[in-house]
Amino acid sequence: MFAVITGSLHVGLAALGSAVGVGLVGMKAAEATGRNPGAAGEIRTQAIIFAALAEGIVFIAIFLAK
Amino acid sequence: MQMQRILVALFLFLAIPLALADKPSSDENKSESHEEGHSASTHSEDNEHAEHAEGLSANAPVIFKLGPLQITNSMFVTMIVALGIIIVAQLATRKVQLIPAGLQNFVEYLVEGLYGFFESIVGPQMVKQTFWFFGTIFIFILFSNWFGLIPGMGTMGWGMDEHGHFAQPLMRGVNADLNMTLAMAALFMVLWLFWSIKAIGAGGFLGHIFNVKGHGSGFFGIFLVIVFIFVGLIEVVSIGVRPVALTFRLYGNVFAGENILETVMKLGGPYFGWLAVLPFYLLEILVGLVQALVFALLTSVFTALMCEQHDDDHSEEHAH
Repeated sequence: MFAVITGSLHVGLAALGSAVGVGLVGMKAAEATGRNPGAAGEIRTQAIIFAALAEGIVFIAIFLAK
Repeated sequence: MQMQRILVALFLFLAIPLALADKPSSDENKSESHEEGHSASTHSEDNEHAEHAEGLSANAPVIFKLGPLQITNSMFVTMIVALGIIIVAQLATRKVQLIPAGLQNFVEYLVEGLYGFFESIVGPQMVKQTFWFFGTIFIFILFSNWFGLIPGMGTMGWGMDEHGHFAQPLMRGVNADLNMTLAMAALFMVLWLFWSIKAIGAGGFLGHIFNVKGHGSGFFGIFLVIVFIFVGLIEVVSIGVRPVALTFRLYGNVFAGENILETVMKLGGPYFGWLAVLPFYLLEILVGLVQALVFALLTSVFTALMCEQHDDDHSEEHAH
């Protein structure tokens, strides 16, 4: 079962998209922390939330779009 | 200088299994070359067999039955983790002192840190009635993820097949079972509905989703009302996806983590498996923390999104 899913194109595309998304979130979070180190805690919280939302797409692709 | 010595010692230490590993691999090559005469069908069968044997099964096997209740191995681990947390909490609060020391001090530090963290997200009003859920969910997911990483978790059991896998492992990571993560997400959605309606009322709840008021009159106002009704429908879909995403995010991360550990362990071969898997173990410790944080954070943010209007009203009332 798992081999068939991982061989599918849509999971690869979703993984590509969410990887780019998580990378952008991390990049901007690092930039923002560099610009305003005092807000590091709030930036970390928001970065984790949005990284999680971007990351969620690939799990939906794996488990729901068979 | 000392660094160099350590590196040399490490290299020599690693070179020992390399020398030992040389012999069995050459034997395998010979046997493979002998078997080349076999038909292709047996090879493909072997591959299929290996695929089935590899990795964690998607569902948690049942280890024993209590009447109609089936206890799976992940339920067994859930009980162990819950029992551990309860015992630590009981020990910490057995003799509560005004100036805490020892275990009570440590547990208070953790819980107060969590309380302040969630207070900054959902606000001082909501945190009083919602902290029991967010705090529990964070602590439970964190420790069940870390408990699942203890070596021996998936390797104890009975009914071994020829690949060295147990048909029925005794224990399994709690969140590598879809039932557990789905139960937590479903419980959260019920509580979320309850908290939202309690905080802003049923009318406020619908008004928050279908933001139809205050767009002015005239043609443009009516047009905006229609637009916001459709925006509300999209919002309903987004709310409906939330429990699904929460469930699969946690399950997918933990389940994939277990499979990564096993695959990398095999890549390292019989002698280097422990070394190859070491960085991934550290990664999984980080993933366990981050996923616990993400689950607690997302649930609290969803609550705050719906209830923050209420908090604003309160602060305005206080200001008046």
